[in-house]
Amino acid sequence: MSRSLMLALGAVFAFPCLAAAQGPAATGGWVGPFAVIAAGIGMALAAGLCGLGQGRAVAAAVDAMARQPAAAARIQTAMIIGLALIESLAIYVLVVAMILLFVQPIKG
Amino acid sequence: MEAIEHPPIFRLPAIFSDGYIPDHVTYTWLVMIILTGIAFVASRRMELVPRGAQNFLEVVLEQFQALIDDVIGPEGRPYLPLIATLGLFILTGNLLSLIPGFAGPTANLNTTAACALIVFVSYHAIGIRKQGVVNYFKHFMGPVPLLAPLMVPIELISHLARPLSLSLRLFGNMTGGHILLAIIFFLMGLDGLIGWALSGSKAGALVGGVGGLIMVVFTVGFLYPLKILVSVLQAFIFVMLTMLYIAGATEGAEHHHAEHH
Repeated sequence: MSRSLMLALGAVFAFPCLAAAQGPAATGGWVGPFAVIAAGIGMALAAGLCGLGQGRAVAAAVDAMARQPAAAARIQTAMIIGLALIESLAIYVLVVAMILLFVQPIKG
Repeated sequence: MEAIEHPPIFRLPAIFSDGYIPDHVTYTWLVMIILTGIAFVASRRMELVPRGAQNFLEVVLEQFQALIDDVIGPEGRPYLPLIATLGLFILTGNLLSLIPGFAGPTANLNTTAACALIVFVSYHAIGIRKQGVVNYFKHFMGPVPLLAPLMVPIELISHLARPLSLSLRLFGNMTGGHILLAIIFFLMGLDGLIGWALSGSKAGALVGGVGGLIMVVFTVGFLYPLKILVSVLQAFIFVMLTMLYIAGATEGAEHHHAEHH
């Protein structure tokens, strides 16, 4: 499994180099394709891990609400704040991805 | 970003330069006009037993006040204008961007950074006014004087990260939702599935028609309710964090006193 993963990663990383080497020089340097790949991989990692974290938070909150329905409102408020703080980490990655895709600060 | 944005319905020409006033500024003015109009209509003929618009606004503001009482306590009531204005502005801006043809002011980093900087400056000002300059900045040094060289940079970074995360959270949520909507619209628009369905080919009518229908149902039935939920939730979270920061700036004094006495 790890070998196929390595192969896939190698293909992913080698392809833009080949494309850039074969493509016309006027299309810009080799940073652009890597920026697209970095945005995609980064967003995928961030979304997956953020989902794991939020799942743990929601599971604990629902558990607490089921045990103590009287405190459900306060638990829900705390849960929403916590979810927002967790989610903002994925939002940082989204912003970085958008900067990579649309602003393209580094021209290779 | 311009690649996937459509121009909004109306733009105002700039006076002092060529081109147009940026969309987020124009639509911030629109939000201001909407909110001022609602407030004017609601407060034009105030009655002891509220009806109509006055009743609605009183319910909304009572919600804000209940939230403030819950988080800061009754001494947080003087900050109701700040908190409710921020909340209503952000909520209206978020919901405005869901109407096709309108640009959302909160989907631009400049607007959200302005809101976050207002929060940053005002909670420090509130803390300094409540506790005095020396007492307020004493909190940055932590409980033990020996740990001050360690605590001061940590506290400074955590305080400076607050406006950053406030503004980026709102901006990223709104812009991410817009990009999602734009991609779905491009998938099903005249260049996409619906165009394929209208192209006359049999496969297009079969696959494109069904696919386009699924996309329309998905957008109207799932994405739009989700975006309305996210709009309300993000406004709530912004207001909630603002109240927590104000509570942290004002509560520190009593906590500190309690420790010493």
